[in-house]
Amino acid sequence: MMTTRVLAMSASAGVSRARWAWLAAGAVALLVWPLFVNEPFFLHIATLALLYTIGAASLHLVLRIGHLSLGHAAFLGLGGYTSALLTTALSWPFAAAFIASGLVPAVVALIVGPIVLRLRGVYFVLITFTFGEVVRLVFTEWQSLTGGADGIFRIPPPHALLASKRAYYYFALAMAVACVGVVARILASQTGRFIDAIREGERLAQSSGVPILRFKVMVFAIACGLVGLQGSLLAHFITFVAPGAYAFNESLNLLVMNVIGGMGSLTGPLVGAVFLTALPEFLRGWVELQRFLYGVVLIIVMLFVPGGLVELGRRTIALVREPEGRDA
Amino acid sequence: MTALLDVSRLAKRFGAVQAVERLDFQVEPGEILGIIGPNGAGKTTAINLISGVIRPDSGRITFAGQDVTGMRPDLLVRRGVVRTFQATTIYQERTVRENVRRGAFTTAYRGFWSTFLGTAGARAAARRAGEAIDELLSWLGLSEVADAEARSLPYGFQKVLGLGIALAARPRLAMLDEPAAGLSHDEANHVAEVVRRINREDVSVIVVDHNMRFISTLCHRIVVLHHGAELATGTPQDVTRDPRVIEAYLGTQH
Repeated sequence: MMTTRVLAMSASAGVSRARWAWLAAGAVALLVWPLFVNEPFFLHIATLALLYTIGAASLHLVLRIGHLSLGHAAFLGLGGYTSALLTTALSWPFAAAFIASGLVPAVVALIVGPIVLRLRGVYFVLITFTFGEVVRLVFTEWQSLTGGADGIFRIPPPHALLASKRAYYYFALAMAVACVGVVARILASQTGRFIDAIREGERLAQSSGVPILRFKVMVFAIACGLVGLQGSLLAHFITFVAPGAYAFNESLNLLVMNVIGGMGSLTGPLVGAVFLTALPEFLRGWVELQRFLYGVVLIIVMLFVPGGLVELGRRTIALVREPEGRDA
Repeated sequence: MTALLDVSRLAKRFGAVQAVERLDFQVEPGEILGIIGPNGAGKTTAINLISGVIRPDSGRITFAGQDVTGMRPDLLVRRGVVRTFQATTIYQERTVRENVRRGAFTTAYRGFWSTFLGTAGARAAARRAGEAIDELLSWLGLSEVADAEARSLPYGFQKVLGLGIALAARPRLAMLDEPAAGLSHDEANHVAEVVRRINREDVSVIVVDHNMRFISTLCHRIVVLHHGAELATGTPQDVTRDPRVIEAYLGTQH
């Protein structure tokens, strides 16, 4: 029910009719395929991809306010550890731990945000990178709480009914639609208008009365809260948390999802999340080539399709519709 | 007689440069005040100080009877003080209408939650702002290009659009930093006409420029700055005849 409401809300924000048809077709496909393909391997990857759409979409929000964060995995980890500790050590019910796993990173973001969001460009990149490493070190060194480098094991499923891969897939689907829906709604609302204004002309937006820092901190906190929710859902899916999973390369992964998918719209990170979750799994046979191919794809995208896969898709559609092209 | 804006003994130093020194002037309600002076006289610094972009070292700024010295720009906008920039500062890749809508933050934005949930109040505010903006666009002569990308407009239109973004905030005092810089004679006349019309809507205006002809035909009074300090203040006729102004502005007459 939650999902339909979120979709309905984004409808009021003016989504065209053709786009609705595509959304409906996509929704049916996402709902129906597991009924025919009950293959744990595919369900596992699809669930991961859905969960990563949350993190990638939340990082998209941070990019939209004009900041490139290399520490987003720290907030993913804060959510994961919060949920893991509360459900194992304190035996909290999942629902309460889930809410806390969004609140803890959001509150941390509210504390560090007013400091780091004053920094621009490469300084913000460096400070978020540093912050990510500090958080990872805390996960590793605070052994009495976090279990050190080994992390926390045997995290229970959110509910007895969600023990199967297929059930968790549907759960992840609902959560991803809700969380991405929140991002879509923010971007389509008046708040989105001024988020874009800040990125495109901070000085101008400020002289129209937009409280820049307050806006940035608010958006940053929401983004970090959302990725914390992904952390919880991910921890309960793979049943453990460990510091290595929230290291720099995970932050980079979330960023690359945005770059490869395309940073111009919310569709980009969604496509990027699916692409970058599925790709390594299908390249399992060439493990030693994985990183290399990853790098090659990234360079090609940045050089030739700065708008990412979304842009590539758009060009292809345009080419199919008008094969001669219109160079003139 | 209470001035709308009262600037008193304002000073700002950048390193070894005293950009503004003991600056005093008032803007009366309904007035168009010109600030003029050679390059480096401190005109833009004065605007930046009043609009809160930079803090003064000393001095006091009072707006509508309240001390606003060093107040953040976005809070000043809420009180009715807006400014434009010397360079054409617009959202290049957006439509003209979207540009102006972004200027209407103080009237259109009703907070995060009410816009997120789409409450009746938020929707009504957005609708009213939209109507006000259509009106503003036609008033500025921009209706026909409302859906064009801002960067596709001729330079003169871009300048007027910059004014439009500022006016969308419904100011009581608009500070315009070189609104006619780089414009042709006709375009500058159009901008001057727009400024007069703004003024007739009860908006006080400060115009900063170094073009004496533009300023003296437009403004009720003129403040002449020289080396960061006030050199002369008066009507355009008085100021242009003042020998100190002529010397500072044109160099010693031979």
